[in-house]
Amino acid sequence: MLDVQGLRKEYGELVAVRDIRFQLYPGDVFGFIGPNGAGKTTTIKMLATLLEPTAGTATLNGIDIVRHPEEVRPLLGYMPDFFGLYEGITVTEYLEFFAAAYRIPKAQRAAIIDNVLELTDLTVKKDAYVETLSRGMQQRLCLAKSLVHDPILLLLDEPASGLDPRARIEIKELIRELGAMGKIVLVSSHILPELADFCNKIGIIEKGELLVWGAVDEIVAQLQANRVLEIKPLGEPDALIQRLERESHVHGVETRNGSLYVHFAGGLEEQADLLAALIRDGFRIAAFREESLDLEDVFMQITKGEVS
Amino acid sequence: MTTLRENPLLRYHLLGATRHRWRRQPWLYGAAVLGVGLVYLLVLQLTVYSEAGIDATLGLALFVMCLAAPLMAYNMFSSEYEKQTWESLALTRLTAPEIFWGKYGAALARVALTTLLFAPFLLTTHRANTYTIAAAFAVLFGWGALLVSVGLWLSFKLKRTLTTASVLYAGQVFVLLLFPLLYLLFSDGTVDKQILHAAENYEEGFYTWIIILFNGTFIIFLNPFYVASQLERLGVPPVWWWGADEWDGYATGLHYVLWGFAQGGMYLGLGALFAGFTLRGIKYSWRK
Repeated sequence: MLDVQGLRKEYGELVAVRDIRFQLYPGDVFGFIGPNGAGKTTTIKMLATLLEPTAGTATLNGIDIVRHPEEVRPLLGYMPDFFGLYEGITVTEYLEFFAAAYRIPKAQRAAIIDNVLELTDLTVKKDAYVETLSRGMQQRLCLAKSLVHDPILLLLDEPASGLDPRARIEIKELIRELGAMGKIVLVSSHILPELADFCNKIGIIEKGELLVWGAVDEIVAQLQANRVLEIKPLGEPDALIQRLERESHVHGVETRNGSLYVHFAGGLEEQADLLAALIRDGFRIAAFREESLDLEDVFMQITKGEVS
Repeated sequence: MTTLRENPLLRYHLLGATRHRWRRQPWLYGAAVLGVGLVYLLVLQLTVYSEAGIDATLGLALFVMCLAAPLMAYNMFSSEYEKQTWESLALTRLTAPEIFWGKYGAALARVALTTLLFAPFLLTTHRANTYTIAAAFAVLFGWGALLVSVGLWLSFKLKRTLTTASVLYAGQVFVLLLFPLLYLLFSDGTVDKQILHAAENYEEGFYTWIIILFNGTFIIFLNPFYVASQLERLGVPPVWWWGADEWDGYATGLHYVLWGFAQGGMYLGLGALFAGFTLRGIKYSWRK
Protein backbone atom coordinates (compact mmCIF):
# COMPACT_ATOMS: atom_id res chain seq x y z
CA MET A 1 0.00 0.00 0.00
CA LEU A 2 1.19 3.51 -0.80
CA ASP A 3 0.19 6.03 1.84
CA VAL A 4 1.06 9.62 1.00
CA GLN A 5 0.89 11.84 4.07
CA GLY A 6 1.02 15.59 3.61
CA LEU A 7 3.80 15.66 1.05
CA ARG A 8 5.09 19.17 0.50
CA LYS A 9 7.91 20.66 -1.53
CA GLU A 10 9.05 24.25 -1.37
CA TYR A 11 11.71 25.99 -3.44
CA GLY A 12 12.28 29.18 -1.48
CA GLU A 13 9.04 31.13 -1.73
CA LEU A 14 7.56 28.82 -4.31
CA VAL A 15 5.41 25.99 -3.04
CA ALA A 16 5.62 23.35 -5.76
CA VAL A 17 3.55 20.73 -3.95
CA ARG A 18 1.14 21.48 -1.07
CA ASP A 19 0.45 18.84 1.53
CA ILE A 20 -0.69 16.09 -0.80
CA ARG A 21 -2.47 13.08 0.71
CA PHE A 22 -3.79 9.91 -0.90
CA GLN A 23 -3.70 6.16 -0.51
CA LEU A 24 -3.32 3.51 -3.16
CA TYR A 25 -3.66 -0.25 -2.93
CA PRO A 26 -2.31 -3.16 -5.01
CA GLY A 27 -4.02 -3.24 -8.39
CA ASP A 28 -4.82 0.48 -8.37
CA VAL A 29 -3.98 2.38 -11.53
CA PHE A 30 -3.91 5.98 -10.42
CA GLY A 31 -4.09 8.72 -13.01
CA PHE A 32 -2.29 11.80 -11.80
CA ILE A 33 -3.72 14.63 -13.85
CA GLY A 34 -2.80 18.25 -14.01
CA PRO A 35 -1.65 20.95 -16.36
CA ASN A 36 2.04 21.42 -17.10
CA GLY A 37 3.75 22.92 -14.05
CA ALA A 38 1.10 21.72 -11.63
CA GLY A 39 3.53 19.67 -9.52
CA LYS A 40 3.05 16.16 -10.94
CA THR A 41 6.72 15.47 -11.68
CA THR A 42 7.85 16.96 -8.36
CA THR A 43 5.42 14.69 -6.51
CA ILE A 44 6.55 11.65 -8.48
CA LYS A 45 10.21 12.47 -7.87
CA MET A 46 9.54 12.74 -4.15
CA LEU A 47 7.78 9.37 -4.20
CA ALA A 48 10.69 7.95 -6.20
CA THR A 49 13.04 9.12 -3.39
CA LEU A 50 14.94 11.32 -5.84
CA LEU A 51 13.80 14.53 -4.20
CA GLU A 52 13.55 15.13 -0.48
CA PRO A 53 10.19 16.61 0.60
CA THR A 54 10.19 19.82 2.61
CA ALA A 55 7.54 18.31 4.85
CA GLY A 56 5.37 15.23 5.03
CA THR A 57 6.27 11.77 3.91
CA ALA A 58 4.91 8.64 2.28
CA THR A 59 5.16 5.01 3.17
CA LEU A 60 5.30 2.10 0.79
CA ASN A 61 4.26 -1.10 2.51
CA GLY A 62 5.04 0.64 5.78
CA ILE A 63 8.54 1.80 4.79
CA ASP A 64 9.12 5.52 5.05
CA ILE A 65 10.41 6.97 1.77
CA VAL A 66 12.10 9.92 3.48
CA ARG A 67 13.87 8.06 6.26
CA HIS A 68 14.66 4.84 4.39
CA PRO A 69 15.04 5.67 0.70
CA GLU A 70 17.49 2.82 0.15
CA GLU A 71 14.93 0.29 1.39
CA VAL A 72 12.14 1.72 -0.71
CA ARG A 73 14.07 1.91 -3.98
CA PRO A 74 14.09 -1.85 -4.67
CA LEU A 75 10.30 -1.79 -4.30
CA LEU A 76 9.63 0.84 -6.91
CA GLY A 77 10.03 1.19 -10.64
CA TYR A 78 10.36 4.67 -12.10
CA MET A 79 10.03 5.86 -15.63
CA PRO A 80 10.86 9.57 -15.97
CA ASP A 81 9.19 11.86 -18.49
CA PHE A 82 12.52 12.47 -20.21
CA PHE A 83 14.72 9.45 -20.15
CA GLY A 84 17.84 8.18 -21.82
CA LEU A 85 19.34 4.79 -22.34
CA TYR A 86 22.88 3.50 -22.14
CA GLU A 87 23.94 3.33 -25.74
CA GLY A 88 26.23 0.98 -27.60
CA ILE A 89 24.77 -2.15 -26.02
CA THR A 90 21.96 -4.51 -27.00
CA VAL A 91 18.51 -4.61 -25.43
CA THR A 92 19.38 -7.79 -23.52
CA GLU A 93 22.66 -6.33 -22.25
CA TYR A 94 20.83 -3.20 -21.15
CA LEU A 95 18.40 -5.24 -19.09
CA GLU A 96 21.24 -7.40 -17.77
CA PHE A 97 22.94 -4.22 -16.59
CA PHE A 98 19.92 -3.21 -14.55
CA ALA A 99 19.29 -6.77 -13.33
CA ALA A 100 22.85 -6.81 -12.00
CA ALA A 101 22.44 -3.31 -10.55
CA TYR A 102 19.34 -4.53 -8.68
CA ARG A 103 21.37 -7.50 -7.42
CA ILE A 104 19.25 -10.14 -9.07
CA PRO A 105 21.20 -13.42 -8.79
CA LYS A 106 23.02 -14.29 -12.00
CA ALA A 107 21.24 -17.61 -12.38
CA GLN A 108 17.81 -15.93 -12.44
CA ARG A 109 18.62 -13.03 -14.73
CA ALA A 110 18.08 -14.72 -18.11
CA ALA A 111 14.60 -16.00 -17.21
CA ILE A 112 13.53 -12.65 -15.73
CA ILE A 113 14.79 -10.75 -18.76
CA ASP A 114 12.92 -13.12 -21.09
CA ASN A 115 9.71 -12.56 -19.11
CA VAL A 116 10.08 -8.80 -19.10
CA LEU A 117 10.87 -8.73 -22.81
CA GLU A 118 7.77 -10.80 -23.49
CA LEU A 119 5.60 -8.59 -21.30
CA THR A 120 6.79 -5.46 -23.07
CA ASP A 121 6.65 -7.13 -26.47
CA LEU A 122 10.33 -6.59 -27.15
CA THR A 123 11.45 -10.20 -27.57
CA VAL A 124 12.05 -9.75 -31.30
CA LYS A 125 14.34 -6.82 -30.54
CA LYS A 126 16.42 -8.46 -27.84
CA ASP A 127 19.61 -8.40 -29.92
CA ALA A 128 19.03 -4.93 -31.37
CA TYR A 129 21.20 -2.05 -30.28
CA VAL A 130 19.39 0.23 -27.87
CA GLU A 131 19.91 3.38 -29.91
CA THR A 132 18.42 1.79 -33.03
CA LEU A 133 15.00 1.31 -31.40
CA SER A 134 12.10 3.59 -32.26
CA ARG A 135 10.90 6.07 -29.64
CA GLY A 136 7.98 3.81 -28.72
CA MET A 137 10.23 0.80 -28.32
CA GLN A 138 12.70 2.78 -26.25
CA GLN A 139 9.78 3.80 -24.04
CA ARG A 140 8.86 0.14 -23.64
CA LEU A 141 12.48 -0.74 -22.94
CA CYS A 142 12.58 1.92 -20.23
CA LEU A 143 9.46 0.36 -18.75
CA ALA A 144 11.01 -3.10 -19.07
CA LYS A 145 14.05 -1.84 -17.18
CA SER A 146 11.74 -0.58 -14.43
CA LEU A 147 10.20 -4.04 -14.15
CA VAL A 148 13.27 -6.32 -13.95
CA HIS A 149 13.31 -6.24 -10.16
CA ASP A 150 9.54 -6.85 -9.91
CA PRO A 151 8.59 -3.61 -8.11
CA ILE A 152 5.30 -3.24 -6.25
CA LEU A 153 4.93 0.44 -7.14
CA LEU A 154 5.39 1.83 -10.64
CA LEU A 155 5.80 5.56 -11.11
CA LEU A 156 5.29 6.49 -14.74
CA ASP A 157 5.75 10.14 -15.57
CA GLU A 158 4.04 10.98 -18.87
CA PRO A 159 4.69 7.50 -20.27
CA ALA A 160 2.94 8.13 -23.57
CA SER A 161 4.41 11.51 -24.38
CA GLY A 162 5.91 11.74 -27.83
CA LEU A 163 4.47 8.44 -28.99
CA ASP A 164 2.49 7.77 -32.14
CA PRO A 165 -1.16 6.59 -31.75
CA ARG A 166 -0.29 2.91 -32.08
CA ALA A 167 2.50 3.09 -29.50
CA ARG A 168 0.14 4.98 -27.17
CA ILE A 169 -2.44 2.22 -27.38
CA GLU A 170 0.25 -0.39 -26.75
CA ILE A 171 1.59 1.38 -23.69
CA LYS A 172 -1.96 1.81 -22.34
CA GLU A 173 -2.56 -1.92 -22.73
CA LEU A 174 0.68 -2.61 -20.93
CA ILE A 175 -0.21 -0.35 -18.01
CA ARG A 176 -3.63 -1.98 -17.72
CA GLU A 177 -1.91 -5.36 -17.64
CA LEU A 178 0.48 -4.21 -14.90
CA GLY A 179 -2.46 -3.07 -12.79
CA ALA A 180 -4.10 -6.46 -13.32
CA MET A 181 -0.86 -8.07 -12.09
CA GLY A 182 -1.48 -6.41 -8.72
CA LYS A 183 1.03 -3.60 -8.97
CA ILE A 184 0.27 -0.09 -7.79
CA VAL A 185 0.65 2.07 -10.88
CA LEU A 186 0.82 5.84 -10.70
CA VAL A 187 0.63 7.42 -14.14
CA SER A 188 0.92 11.11 -14.68
CA SER A 189 -0.31 12.90 -17.73
CA HIS A 190 -1.80 16.16 -18.85
CA ILE A 191 -3.64 14.43 -21.67
CA LEU A 192 -6.94 13.20 -20.26
CA PRO A 193 -8.13 10.70 -22.87
CA GLU A 194 -4.85 8.89 -22.26
CA LEU A 195 -5.82 8.13 -18.68
CA ALA A 196 -9.59 7.84 -18.94
CA ASP A 197 -9.44 4.34 -20.38
CA PHE A 198 -7.38 2.49 -17.85
CA CYS A 199 -7.30 4.32 -14.51
CA ASN A 200 -9.57 3.19 -11.71
CA LYS A 201 -8.53 6.14 -9.56
CA ILE A 202 -7.56 9.68 -10.40
CA GLY A 203 -6.11 12.66 -8.65
CA ILE A 204 -6.31 16.13 -10.06
CA ILE A 205 -3.51 18.48 -9.14
CA GLU A 206 -3.32 22.17 -9.83
CA LYS A 207 -0.91 24.76 -8.51
CA GLY A 208 0.68 22.09 -6.34
CA GLU A 209 -2.59 21.23 -4.64
CA LEU A 210 -4.40 17.92 -4.98
CA LEU A 211 -7.89 19.25 -5.65
CA VAL A 212 -9.63 15.91 -5.69
CA TRP A 213 -8.71 12.23 -5.66
CA GLY A 214 -10.53 8.94 -5.56
CA ALA A 215 -12.29 6.41 -7.75
CA VAL A 216 -13.21 7.85 -11.14
CA ASP A 217 -16.93 6.96 -10.76
CA GLU A 218 -17.13 8.50 -7.30
CA ILE A 219 -15.59 11.77 -8.42
CA VAL A 220 -17.91 11.98 -11.39
CA ALA A 221 -20.90 11.23 -9.16
CA GLN A 222 -19.83 13.94 -6.68
CA LEU A 223 -19.59 16.49 -9.44
CA GLN A 224 -22.87 15.45 -10.94
CA ALA A 225 -24.89 16.40 -7.84
CA ASN A 226 -26.15 19.19 -10.03
CA ARG A 227 -26.90 17.16 -13.13
CA VAL A 228 -27.87 18.34 -16.58
CA LEU A 229 -30.82 16.72 -18.34
CA GLU A 230 -31.19 16.94 -22.08
CA ILE A 231 -34.85 17.02 -23.20
CA LYS A 232 -35.77 17.10 -26.88
CA PRO A 233 -39.41 18.14 -27.28
CA LEU A 234 -41.50 17.74 -30.41
CA GLY A 235 -42.84 21.12 -31.49
CA GLU A 236 -42.33 24.55 -29.87
CA PRO A 237 -40.46 24.39 -26.57
CA ASP A 238 -41.85 27.56 -24.93
CA ALA A 239 -44.66 25.88 -23.05
CA LEU A 240 -42.33 23.13 -21.92
CA ILE A 241 -39.78 25.69 -20.66
CA GLN A 242 -42.49 27.46 -18.62
CA ARG A 243 -43.61 24.12 -17.22
CA LEU A 244 -40.07 23.11 -16.30
CA GLU A 245 -39.37 26.41 -14.56
CA ARG A 246 -42.21 25.72 -12.15
CA GLU A 247 -40.43 22.53 -10.94
CA SER A 248 -38.66 23.00 -7.60
CA HIS A 249 -35.58 20.90 -8.61
CA VAL A 250 -34.98 22.84 -11.79
CA HIS A 251 -32.47 25.68 -11.49
CA GLY A 252 -32.30 26.79 -15.07
CA VAL A 253 -33.10 25.84 -18.64
CA GLU A 254 -30.96 26.51 -21.71
CA THR A 255 -31.92 25.95 -25.31
CA ARG A 256 -29.35 24.63 -27.80
CA ASN A 257 -29.93 23.05 -31.19
CA GLY A 258 -33.60 22.39 -30.51
CA SER A 259 -32.90 20.63 -27.23
CA LEU A 260 -33.45 21.88 -23.70
CA TYR A 261 -30.64 21.53 -21.17
CA VAL A 262 -32.13 21.47 -17.72
CA HIS A 263 -30.00 22.06 -14.60
CA PHE A 264 -31.57 19.62 -12.23
CA ALA A 265 -30.78 19.25 -8.50
CA GLY A 266 -32.80 16.09 -7.81
CA GLY A 267 -31.80 12.45 -7.76
CA LEU A 268 -32.88 9.59 -10.01
CA GLU A 269 -36.31 9.31 -8.34
CA GLU A 270 -37.09 12.97 -8.96
CA GLN A 271 -35.78 12.64 -12.50
CA ALA A 272 -38.21 9.77 -13.21
CA ASP A 273 -41.07 11.73 -11.59
CA LEU A 274 -40.33 14.76 -13.80
CA LEU A 275 -40.50 12.67 -16.97
CA ALA A 276 -43.78 11.06 -15.86
CA ALA A 277 -45.27 14.48 -15.01
CA LEU A 278 -44.31 15.98 -18.38
CA ILE A 279 -45.91 13.12 -20.27
CA ARG A 280 -48.96 13.29 -18.03
CA ASP A 281 -49.26 17.01 -18.84
CA GLY A 282 -49.36 16.19 -22.54
CA PHE A 283 -45.86 17.21 -23.61
CA ARG A 284 -44.48 15.09 -26.44
CA ILE A 285 -40.89 14.17 -25.57
CA ALA A 286 -38.67 12.68 -28.28
CA ALA A 287 -35.60 12.27 -26.08
CA PHE A 288 -34.93 12.53 -22.35
CA ARG A 289 -31.47 11.73 -21.05
CA GLU A 290 -28.99 12.70 -18.44
CA GLU A 291 -25.89 14.34 -19.80
CA SER A 292 -23.02 12.39 -18.24
CA LEU A 293 -19.65 13.88 -17.36
CA ASP A 294 -16.45 12.38 -18.66
CA LEU A 295 -12.96 12.89 -17.29
CA GLU A 296 -12.48 16.01 -19.35
CA ASP A 297 -15.61 17.60 -17.92
CA VAL A 298 -14.48 16.67 -14.43
CA PHE A 299 -11.10 18.22 -15.07
CA MET A 300 -12.58 21.40 -16.51
CA GLN A 301 -15.00 21.77 -13.60
CA ILE A 302 -12.33 21.31 -10.96
CA THR A 303 -9.33 23.17 -12.34
CA LYS A 304 -8.77 26.80 -13.18
CA GLY A 305 -5.75 26.36 -15.42
CA GLU A 306 -3.25 27.78 -12.94
CA VAL A 307 0.30 26.62 -12.34
CA SER A 308 2.35 26.82 -9.15
CA MET B 1 28.33 -4.72 -1.88
CA THR B 2 29.44 -6.38 -5.08
CA THR B 3 33.06 -7.00 -5.87
CA LEU B 4 34.75 -4.73 -8.39
CA ARG B 5 34.58 -7.48 -11.03
CA GLU B 6 30.82 -7.85 -10.62
CA ASN B 7 30.16 -4.11 -10.72
CA PRO B 8 27.88 -3.66 -13.77
CA LEU B 9 28.82 -0.01 -14.15
CA LEU B 10 32.52 -0.81 -14.29
CA ARG B 11 31.86 -3.55 -16.83
CA TYR B 12 29.77 -1.17 -18.91
CA HIS B 13 32.38 1.57 -18.90
CA LEU B 14 35.27 -0.78 -19.55
CA LEU B 15 33.72 -3.22 -21.99
CA GLY B 16 30.01 -2.61 -22.53
CA ALA B 17 29.91 -0.08 -25.30
CA THR B 18 33.48 -0.57 -26.50
CA ARG B 19 33.32 -4.18 -27.64
CA HIS B 20 30.37 -3.55 -29.95
CA ARG B 21 32.13 -0.65 -31.64
CA TRP B 22 34.62 -3.12 -33.06
CA ARG B 23 31.87 -5.41 -34.29
CA ARG B 24 29.88 -2.59 -35.86
CA GLN B 25 32.69 -0.70 -37.56
CA PRO B 26 35.63 -3.11 -37.82
CA TRP B 27 37.27 -1.29 -40.74
CA LEU B 28 37.13 2.13 -39.12
CA TYR B 29 38.49 0.95 -35.79
CA GLY B 30 40.92 -1.43 -37.44
CA ALA B 31 42.35 1.41 -39.55
CA ALA B 32 42.57 3.68 -36.49
CA VAL B 33 44.42 1.04 -34.48
CA LEU B 34 46.75 0.32 -37.36
CA GLY B 35 47.54 4.02 -37.80
CA VAL B 36 48.10 4.65 -34.11
CA GLY B 37 50.12 1.45 -33.85
CA LEU B 38 52.43 2.45 -36.68
CA VAL B 39 52.98 5.93 -35.22
CA TYR B 40 53.66 4.32 -31.84
CA LEU B 41 56.30 2.00 -33.25
CA LEU B 42 57.88 4.80 -35.29
CA VAL B 43 58.16 7.10 -32.26
CA LEU B 44 59.50 4.24 -30.13
CA GLN B 45 62.16 3.52 -32.72
CA LEU B 46 63.08 7.22 -32.87
CA THR B 47 63.45 7.53 -29.11
CA VAL B 48 65.59 4.40 -28.93
CA TYR B 49 67.87 5.38 -31.80
CA SER B 50 68.23 8.98 -30.70
CA GLU B 51 69.18 7.78 -27.20
CA ALA B 52 66.50 9.97 -25.65
CA GLY B 53 66.81 10.73 -21.96
CA ILE B 54 64.09 10.48 -19.32
CA ASP B 55 63.17 14.14 -19.83
CA ALA B 56 62.24 13.37 -23.43
CA THR B 57 60.52 10.00 -22.96
CA LEU B 58 58.64 11.00 -19.82
CA GLY B 59 57.87 14.39 -21.40
CA LEU B 60 56.37 12.65 -24.41
CA ALA B 61 54.37 10.27 -22.22
CA LEU B 62 53.14 13.20 -20.10
CA PHE B 63 52.12 15.13 -23.19
CA VAL B 64 49.99 12.21 -24.37
CA MET B 65 48.59 11.74 -20.85
CA CYS B 66 47.64 15.44 -20.69
CA LEU B 67 45.69 15.03 -23.90
CA ALA B 68 44.20 11.61 -23.26
CA ALA B 69 43.36 11.52 -19.53
CA PRO B 70 40.65 14.22 -19.65
CA LEU B 71 38.87 12.15 -22.30
CA MET B 72 38.78 9.22 -19.90
CA ALA B 73 36.65 11.02 -17.32
CA TYR B 74 35.14 14.17 -18.77
CA ASN B 75 31.73 12.65 -19.53
CA MET B 76 31.46 10.02 -16.83
CA PHE B 77 28.75 11.83 -14.87
CA SER B 78 27.81 14.63 -17.25
CA SER B 79 26.55 12.13 -19.82
CA GLU B 80 24.34 10.60 -17.11
CA TYR B 81 22.78 14.03 -16.66
CA GLU B 82 22.70 14.93 -20.34
CA LYS B 83 21.18 11.61 -21.38
CA GLN B 84 18.84 11.59 -18.36
CA THR B 85 20.06 8.21 -17.15
CA TRP B 86 21.22 9.23 -13.68
CA GLU B 87 17.81 8.84 -12.06
CA SER B 88 17.53 5.24 -13.20
CA LEU B 89 21.05 4.58 -11.96
CA ALA B 90 20.43 6.30 -8.63
CA LEU B 91 17.37 4.13 -8.00
CA THR B 92 19.22 0.85 -8.40
CA ARG B 93 20.67 -0.99 -5.43
CA LEU B 94 24.20 0.08 -6.34
CA THR B 95 25.71 1.95 -3.43
CA ALA B 96 27.49 5.29 -3.75
CA PRO B 97 30.96 3.63 -3.54
CA GLU B 98 29.91 1.10 -6.20
CA ILE B 99 28.75 3.85 -8.55
CA PHE B 100 31.88 5.82 -7.82
CA TRP B 101 34.25 2.89 -8.36
CA GLY B 102 32.33 1.80 -11.43
CA LYS B 103 33.28 5.07 -13.06
CA TYR B 104 36.54 5.95 -11.33
CA GLY B 105 37.79 2.37 -11.65
CA ALA B 106 37.22 2.45 -15.40
CA ALA B 107 39.01 5.79 -15.71
CA LEU B 108 41.94 4.63 -13.56
CA ALA B 109 42.21 1.41 -15.56
CA ARG B 110 42.57 3.48 -18.73
CA VAL B 111 45.20 5.67 -17.08
CA ALA B 112 47.06 2.50 -16.05
CA LEU B 113 46.78 1.17 -19.60
CA THR B 114 48.17 4.43 -21.02
CA THR B 115 51.01 4.27 -18.50
CA LEU B 116 51.74 0.70 -19.56
CA LEU B 117 51.72 1.73 -23.21
CA PHE B 118 54.61 4.04 -22.41
CA ALA B 119 56.52 1.38 -20.50
CA PRO B 120 58.65 0.47 -23.56
CA PHE B 121 59.62 4.15 -23.93
CA LEU B 122 60.54 4.56 -20.28
CA LEU B 123 62.31 1.22 -20.03
CA THR B 124 64.49 1.92 -23.06
CA THR B 125 65.40 5.42 -21.89
CA HIS B 126 69.05 6.22 -22.25
CA ARG B 127 71.01 6.76 -19.02
CA ALA B 128 68.15 5.63 -16.79
CA ASN B 129 68.28 3.59 -13.64
CA THR B 130 65.72 1.85 -11.47
CA TYR B 131 65.04 5.03 -9.52
CA THR B 132 64.36 7.25 -12.51
CA ILE B 133 62.25 4.67 -14.30
CA ALA B 134 60.16 3.91 -11.22
CA ALA B 135 59.81 7.64 -10.47
CA ALA B 136 58.79 8.28 -14.08
CA PHE B 137 56.02 5.67 -13.78
CA ALA B 138 54.90 7.26 -10.49
CA VAL B 139 54.77 10.74 -12.07
CA LEU B 140 53.01 9.54 -15.22
CA PHE B 141 50.37 7.45 -13.45
CA GLY B 142 49.97 10.02 -10.66
CA TRP B 143 49.39 12.87 -13.11
CA GLY B 144 46.90 10.77 -15.10
CA ALA B 145 45.09 9.77 -11.90
CA LEU B 146 44.91 13.41 -10.81
CA LEU B 147 43.48 14.45 -14.17
CA VAL B 148 40.76 11.77 -14.14
CA SER B 149 39.93 12.55 -10.49
CA VAL B 150 39.47 16.23 -11.25
CA GLY B 151 37.64 15.30 -14.47
CA LEU B 152 35.24 13.04 -12.61
CA TRP B 153 34.52 15.69 -10.01
CA LEU B 154 34.02 18.43 -12.61
CA SER B 155 31.81 16.13 -14.64
CA PHE B 156 29.69 15.53 -11.53
CA LYS B 157 29.55 19.18 -10.49
CA LEU B 158 29.19 20.91 -13.85
CA LYS B 159 26.89 18.29 -15.40
CA ARG B 160 27.97 19.35 -18.88
CA THR B 161 30.43 17.37 -20.96
CA LEU B 162 31.74 20.20 -23.09
CA THR B 163 32.20 22.52 -20.12
CA THR B 164 34.05 19.80 -18.22
CA ALA B 165 36.38 19.11 -21.14
CA SER B 166 37.03 22.84 -21.64
CA VAL B 167 37.79 23.40 -17.96
CA LEU B 168 40.11 20.38 -17.85
CA TYR B 169 42.15 21.40 -20.87
CA ALA B 170 42.17 25.11 -20.02
CA GLY B 171 43.09 24.23 -16.43
CA GLN B 172 46.11 22.31 -17.64
CA VAL B 173 47.23 25.26 -19.74
CA PHE B 174 47.06 27.43 -16.63
CA VAL B 175 48.73 24.97 -14.28
CA LEU B 176 51.43 23.70 -16.64
CA LEU B 177 52.21 26.81 -18.63
CA LEU B 178 50.75 30.10 -17.47
CA PHE B 179 51.33 29.77 -13.72
CA PRO B 180 55.00 28.74 -14.18
CA LEU B 181 55.44 31.67 -16.58
CA LEU B 182 53.89 33.96 -14.01
CA TYR B 183 56.29 32.60 -11.39
CA LEU B 184 59.27 33.16 -13.68
CA LEU B 185 58.06 36.69 -14.37
CA PHE B 186 58.38 37.49 -10.67
CA SER B 187 61.64 35.59 -10.14
CA ASP B 188 63.78 37.14 -12.87
CA GLY B 189 63.32 34.10 -15.04
CA THR B 190 65.17 31.73 -12.72
CA VAL B 191 64.10 28.87 -10.50
CA ASP B 192 65.80 28.83 -7.12
CA LYS B 193 66.95 25.24 -6.81
CA GLN B 194 69.27 25.84 -3.85
CA ILE B 195 66.73 24.35 -1.49
CA LEU B 196 67.01 21.04 -3.29
CA HIS B 197 70.78 20.94 -2.73
CA ALA B 198 70.38 21.19 1.01
CA ALA B 199 68.72 17.87 1.80
CA GLU B 200 71.24 15.40 3.12
CA ASN B 201 68.87 12.74 4.43
CA TYR B 202 65.22 11.74 4.01
CA GLU B 203 64.08 13.70 7.07
CA GLU B 204 65.59 16.87 5.64
CA GLY B 205 64.02 15.95 2.33
CA PHE B 206 60.62 15.84 4.03
CA TYR B 207 61.13 19.29 5.60
CA THR B 208 62.33 20.59 2.25
CA TRP B 209 58.93 19.70 0.81
CA ILE B 210 57.16 21.49 3.65
CA ILE B 211 59.14 24.64 2.83
CA ILE B 212 58.53 24.24 -0.91
CA LEU B 213 54.78 23.95 -0.38
CA PHE B 214 54.76 27.25 1.54
CA ASN B 215 56.60 29.29 -1.07
CA GLY B 216 55.84 29.83 -4.70
CA THR B 217 58.29 27.25 -6.02
CA PHE B 218 55.76 24.46 -5.74
CA ILE B 219 54.28 25.86 -8.96
CA ILE B 220 57.48 24.79 -10.66
CA PHE B 221 58.49 21.76 -8.59
CA LEU B 222 55.08 20.12 -8.91
CA ASN B 223 54.96 20.65 -12.66
CA PRO B 224 55.33 17.13 -14.11
CA PHE B 225 57.34 18.36 -17.10
CA TYR B 226 59.79 20.07 -14.77
CA VAL B 227 59.91 16.87 -12.73
CA ALA B 228 60.87 15.01 -15.90
CA SER B 229 63.59 17.52 -16.74
CA GLN B 230 65.19 17.18 -13.30
CA LEU B 231 64.85 13.40 -13.22
CA GLU B 232 67.46 13.42 -15.95
CA ARG B 233 69.96 14.57 -13.31
CA LEU B 234 69.31 11.36 -11.41
CA GLY B 235 69.78 9.27 -14.51
CA VAL B 236 73.30 8.19 -13.71
CA PRO B 237 73.79 5.18 -11.47
CA PRO B 238 73.88 6.23 -7.79
CA VAL B 239 76.45 5.08 -5.27
CA TRP B 240 74.51 1.95 -4.40
CA TRP B 241 73.97 1.04 -8.02
CA TRP B 242 76.78 -1.16 -9.37
CA GLY B 243 79.40 0.74 -7.45
CA ALA B 244 79.61 3.93 -9.49
CA ASP B 245 79.92 7.27 -7.76
CA GLU B 246 78.72 9.91 -10.14
CA TRP B 247 75.92 11.72 -8.33
CA ASP B 248 76.68 15.34 -7.54
CA GLY B 249 75.28 17.27 -4.58
CA TYR B 250 72.20 18.39 -6.45
CA ALA B 251 71.34 14.86 -7.55
CA THR B 252 71.80 13.65 -3.98
CA GLY B 253 69.47 16.38 -2.80
CA LEU B 254 66.91 15.33 -5.42
CA HIS B 255 67.25 11.77 -4.24
CA TYR B 256 66.57 12.73 -0.61
CA VAL B 257 63.47 14.75 -1.50
CA LEU B 258 62.36 11.60 -3.36
CA TRP B 259 62.14 13.60 -6.54
CA GLY B 260 59.47 12.11 -8.79
CA PHE B 261 58.04 9.75 -6.19
CA ALA B 262 57.07 12.66 -3.95
CA GLN B 263 55.33 14.47 -6.80
CA GLY B 264 53.64 11.25 -7.93
CA GLY B 265 52.42 10.74 -4.37
CA MET B 266 51.16 14.33 -4.17
CA TYR B 267 49.28 13.94 -7.45
CA LEU B 268 47.69 10.78 -6.08
CA GLY B 269 46.88 12.53 -2.80
CA LEU B 270 45.26 15.45 -4.60
CA GLY B 271 43.45 12.99 -6.84
CA ALA B 272 42.14 11.17 -3.78
CA LEU B 273 40.84 14.48 -2.45
CA PHE B 274 38.82 15.17 -5.61
CA ALA B 275 37.71 11.55 -5.71
CA GLY B 276 36.48 12.02 -2.14
CA PHE B 277 34.52 15.12 -3.19
CA THR B 278 32.87 13.13 -5.96
CA LEU B 279 31.97 10.23 -3.70
CA ARG B 280 30.53 12.63 -1.15
CA GLY B 281 28.56 14.35 -3.92
CA ILE B 282 27.00 11.07 -5.02
CA LYS B 283 26.04 10.25 -1.45
CA TYR B 284 24.31 13.57 -0.88
CA SER B 285 22.94 14.53 -4.28
CA TRP B 286 21.72 11.07 -5.20
CA ARG B 287 20.59 10.31 -1.67
CA LYS B 288 22.69 7.14 -1.59
